[in-house]
Amino acid sequence: MKPTAKQRIWMYEMMLTSRKLDEQVFEAYWEGKKPVFNMGKGPLPGEMHQSFGQEPTAVGVCAHLGADDAVGAGHRPHHVAIARGVNLKRMAAELFGKKTGLSGGRGGHMHLYDKSVSFFCSGIIAEGMGPGAGIALARKMQGKPGIAVSYNGEGAANQGAFHEVMNMASLWKLPFVAVIEDNKYAVSVTKAESTVVPSWKRASGAYACYGEYVAGNDPDLIFEAAGRCIERARKGEGPSILEIETERLHGHFIGDSAGYRSKEEVAAQKDPIPLYRKRLLDEKVISEADMAALEARVKKDVDEAMKFGRESDYPAPNEALERVFA
Amino acid sequence: MAQPVADTGRSLTMARAGREAVIAEMRKNPNIFVIGEDVAKLGGVFGTTVGMADEFGAGRVIDTPISETGFIGIATGAAMAGMRPIVEIAFVDFIGVCFNQIFNFAAKTHYMSGGQFKVPLTMMIGYGGGYNDAAQHSQCLIATLAHVPGIRIATPADSYDAKGLMHTCLRDDNLTIWMVHKRIWGLGWLGTALKTAIATVPEEEYAIPFGQARIWREGKDVTLVGYGITVHHALQAADKLAAEGISAEVLDLRTIVPMDRDAIFKSVSKTGRLVVADEDYLNCGVTAEVLAVITERDPRVLKAPAVRVAFPDVPIPFSRPMEDFCLPDPDKLVAAAKKTLGKS
Amino acid sequence: MTDIVVPADLWDTEDEGVLFLWVYPDGSIVEKGKLIAELTVEKAQLELTAPASGRLKIRVAPETIIRKGQVLGTIEPV
Repeated sequence: MKPTAKQRIWMYEMMLTSRKLDEQVFEAYWEGKKPVFNMGKGPLPGEMHQSFGQEPTAVGVCAHLGADDAVGAGHRPHHVAIARGVNLKRMAAELFGKKTGLSGGRGGHMHLYDKSVSFFCSGIIAEGMGPGAGIALARKMQGKPGIAVSYNGEGAANQGAFHEVMNMASLWKLPFVAVIEDNKYAVSVTKAESTVVPSWKRASGAYACYGEYVAGNDPDLIFEAAGRCIERARKGEGPSILEIETERLHGHFIGDSAGYRSKEEVAAQKDPIPLYRKRLLDEKVISEADMAALEARVKKDVDEAMKFGRESDYPAPNEALERVFA
Repeated sequence: MAQPVADTGRSLTMARAGREAVIAEMRKNPNIFVIGEDVAKLGGVFGTTVGMADEFGAGRVIDTPISETGFIGIATGAAMAGMRPIVEIAFVDFIGVCFNQIFNFAAKTHYMSGGQFKVPLTMMIGYGGGYNDAAQHSQCLIATLAHVPGIRIATPADSYDAKGLMHTCLRDDNLTIWMVHKRIWGLGWLGTALKTAIATVPEEEYAIPFGQARIWREGKDVTLVGYGITVHHALQAADKLAAEGISAEVLDLRTIVPMDRDAIFKSVSKTGRLVVADEDYLNCGVTAEVLAVITERDPRVLKAPAVRVAFPDVPIPFSRPMEDFCLPDPDKLVAAAKKTLGKS
Repeated sequence: MTDIVVPADLWDTEDEGVLFLWVYPDGSIVEKGKLIAELTVEKAQLELTAPASGRLKIRVAPETIIRKGQVLGTIEPV
């Protein structure tokens, strides 16, 4: 099933929103961290794993999801959170550690949660698989519609949790999709260096479930493959492994210069967003004027979100002691 | 607080009393389900779920593959989505393979989400040694679990408390861990029944709150603090001490997190002497936390240094004379009490 | 008066078991079908229910080794 014009425009808008936020976050991140790179300094402290180049994996999948569904992301969550419809201002405020943030500043960049869209993160590699499949189990037990999607990297799929959960999800025919974002690098270690099989789609055989590999980092192709996996889940046909080739355009986190990648390799990488922009205009899915309006709107939304994040207050320090227990 | 006298006179084992609470809550609330290894057909390695698969069906008493990280994660997600799972981990030693899901997910999700996602998850875990099951199947690891914020821990010492604390755990909206020492479950293959662990248990429901210690025996010369099996060691030690004219007070912590620090301080203020007994390792353990209660509030209430009786900081040996050498027992508590009283 | 007998089909093998505990003290009024004792056979904890309603008279103490068909006590009419 191919995406409609409206869906394609939505996908572009979500990718652009994620990219523009990441660009502004990148600028803000370096404040206070020059000339000495001290991770704990500045308005955006801590680690920061950005999504430059990986935006298509979020939009191609989330375009199919609704209010009944749930999404878990990993430590590189921005593009997924935005595509899922997480409140942009409260997300930015959470990155700044402000009390208006999604978790009042308790979670931060790797722990974004928005219950209103059933979105959560796992800061530990692959360990969001269990909770994701657990939400799928709950839907099934409660007789409610809705599926769960869990995002993992190709390196994450080496973690025991991935295999344990895929086995159980398939055994119990859970309405669950395990997305693998193959950006080819687990920090500095390539897939070929870490994984004996060329594609995790092959694991679907081991778990007697459906699997696909989508090449090209192309939102439209991702959309089609995701549609097949999600439809199977909705029909009660069990889980899928959806492995998506994508590109990590920057280092693992801000501050990683990725010196372990050759210049030729980096130069050969393609940025999916300008490519998709050109495709939408060439195919006359959107006019130049409407595109300009869309881009102005995205810039405004992102500017406002960053402003909200910067200007919001920090929580009172002793609020650290609250919310441990319900 | 003395144990109330039950009207029916039913002596139940801790396994059966805990199960009674689970069954009662499951009959009331369809969102509660049990998940773990050998919980359905076998009824649990320690008899925690006997008969439950027959009553509630395979959809609510779920046997899993050997995938602790996987199914604890799944249970956590189900809890986040409105279910109330009970996860069984038969031996506490196995928390190693899945500790991440326990301490980084189930314990922290409520906090990290700023209160958006609750995790009403109860774990049932067996712990303890003394039956020659060696280093990887005999541990307590209570301090290991107690150390991470976000976890409530109940360690009942008899069947009356086992049922009341299980009701409390199942009604709590957080991660609660209900832990029973294997030698007091009431299983014949782990030794003869410890009479003091088998209490009379009312048929009706009742809930014992977290953070409320229990004085099993009042005394004035020395406070013996324990939990789980060491409460029973303390009771036997108190009998022996009484024969020598020493009056010992036996205080059962009942819940490790939250700990009833007021009760500990009150008792030691009265007696002036403290012995803490724990089958868990000594270093950085529960015994140290109990001592901290006194030293932080007012060490001057102590007439003599406190004495800790705990498992030495060695892996648990297999050979019986070696394991017995290490394990707390009534005689070691008697010696500790006399030491703090300046008698030998 | 009804004998409390260890049923022949309570466990599969011919192994001996141990009477682990009586749920009610001697002289208690018990109800037919309710749990009155637990037995241990190898790694299993087995249940004994009252064959009749009435007053429990215990004949065999806990920790005693028992066999199938053995009479552990009686239930007397009240």
